Amino acid sequence: MQPLTIALAQIAPRLGGFDENLERHHALLAEARGVGAGLVVFPELGLTGYLLQDLAGEVAIRLDDPRLAALAAETTGLSAVVSFVEESADHRLFIAAALLEDGRLVHVHRKLFLPTYGLFDERRFFAPGDLLRAVPSRLGIGLGVGICEDFWHLPVPQLLALDGAHLLINVSSSPGRDLAATNEVGLGTATSWRTLMRTYAQLTTSFVVFVNRVGVEESISFWGGSEVIGPDGAPVFSAPLYDEGLYPVQIDLTEVRRARISLPLLRDERPELEVREMERIVAERAGLARDATADPDAEPGLDVAPAAQSASVLRP
Amino acid sequence: MTGATFELPTELAIDTGIARRVIAEFIRGQLRQAGFERAVLGLSGGIDSGLVAYLVAEAIGPQRLLCVMLPYRTSSPNSRADAEEVIRQLGCPSELVEITPMVDGYFGAPETAGSPAARGTGEPDASQLRRGNFMARMRMAVLYDRSVTWGGLVVGTGNKTESLIGYTTLFGDNACAFNPIGDLYKSQVRQLAAAVGVPDAIIAKAPSADLWPGQTDETEAGFSYPELDRLLYWLIDKRRSPEELVAKGFPAGLVTWAVRAVAGAEFKRQVPPIAKLGPRTAGIDYLYPRRRPGSART
Repeated sequence: MQPLTIALAQIAPRLGGFDENLERHHALLAEARGVGAGLVVFPELGLTGYLLQDLAGEVAIRLDDPRLAALAAETTGLSAVVSFVEESADHRLFIAAALLEDGRLVHVHRKLFLPTYGLFDERRFFAPGDLLRAVPSRLGIGLGVGICEDFWHLPVPQLLALDGAHLLINVSSSPGRDLAATNEVGLGTATSWRTLMRTYAQLTTSFVVFVNRVGVEESISFWGGSEVIGPDGAPVFSAPLYDEGLYPVQIDLTEVRRARISLPLLRDERPELEVREMERIVAERAGLARDATADPDAEPGLDVAPAAQSASVLRP
Repeated sequence: MTGATFELPTELAIDTGIARRVIAEFIRGQLRQAGFERAVLGLSGGIDSGLVAYLVAEAIGPQRLLCVMLPYRTSSPNSRADAEEVIRQLGCPSELVEITPMVDGYFGAPETAGSPAARGTGEPDASQLRRGNFMARMRMAVLYDRSVTWGGLVVGTGNKTESLIGYTTLFGDNACAFNPIGDLYKSQVRQLAAAVGVPDAIIAKAPSADLWPGQTDETEAGFSYPELDRLLYWLIDKRRSPEELVAKGFPAGLVTWAVRAVAGAEFKRQVPPIAKLGPRTAGIDYLYPRRRPGSART
């Protein structure tokens, strides 16, 4: 297996400027090809910018959009992950990432987890995806694509690895915050992300590619710091914080095999156990089974029993 | 680096390198997205506007920053001297606009040597609070006029501490196109000011609204900034309850005062509500980024 060069496109997309961003994608694909990249990864919503609000519907494209086909046409002998607002035939808007290979769009991942808390307001403007699939790649390995918040939920990297991904890709628009000097790199957000990504790489014994954007939108500064992490959990490359650039990183894909044989965590996962216990928890939450951790007198599906004197009020 | 000493609570210490980087990109981004290359700010001689002047000069170059000094007749000559020192060190363009005739023209003023009394509304005994707010709004009016003549955006200079406790004048000193230091507590302003080279004398002196001789923030309101900053950090950023703050060792009286001050100033930090009547209302269900394709000045 040949060494693979991954180009991390740590760019600063123009908010709402689809055509300008598209032009930049074309230019960077050419530049990545020039440095011998086999895989180019652009950040979340790299074609549109992040804080779109009501602009989302104005920059949305369908999967049959000719501009997407034109971008795919630039990927002969190349794999690229690009991200945009996808409009479905029934006019739902998704935050999407597409894998383009050899001139074709071969896979689309719709963001599953839409943060709507703190400084985030995604669920107001977007629909969540319902599918998570690892995808075979021309690179001879399985790829698993997630978008930003997707990787703040434990099952996502695990499911992708169990589904056959050797290399997990997270594309992000992560706003930097918490500048406490006590942090490893002076930025709380960066420390959190690095801890998570390295943990996932180690626990799934997979490569993890994290591409985060830079630039400013409204009050928010995106911090970059894109990384490639090896299947042993150690970083192979860390891009600088806040600097725009195309960063080529060479990796040896045979490391996945070595890691998985010496540390067979993935072999030892118990998906059937997870499914059983998850089904039980879902049934308990739905009130279809007794919840062992709820108050003994709680109504089915609730976990707190009302105070004695109010119990009669709740009865129909 | 500076030799000025100040108290910096451990939990408030920031990475000043990253802060400078983020703020410089923020300033350039705000200007570029609005279609401007220049900025203007009111320079008082205090640490907040001094720091912002250094940050803007660092981001876009001193020649693109206009510093306007806006003294009233009772303003401290030391403030003026400190402001002039900042201008001298940065080498940025500056202007002096006395707001005395504007303020006295409204309230009226006693006859001073050689000049007749300003008639105004005949209220030369108006309270210091009214006068202070009026001065802040006259300064705002001048800065927004200079924004046109200079062709630059007005940069805000208020910090997080004063915004949280409401120690600002609505549509006065809090009026701006963007604010690079509004998420920094006063202690963090001092830390960053030291890092960027604001003169020691400005960092070391007691913060003051300079509304009357000898006035300082801390004697007026009865707190010390490091203690208040820590209190606000735990209350706001770390979501501790007033009871938990007292248990952490903050004086109960200060906690009660701060909690009330923060709640009482909520209206100063938000855009005024619009009565919802039509199908789509700005800020409610018409939600666009401030800057998007077509929004920049051409």
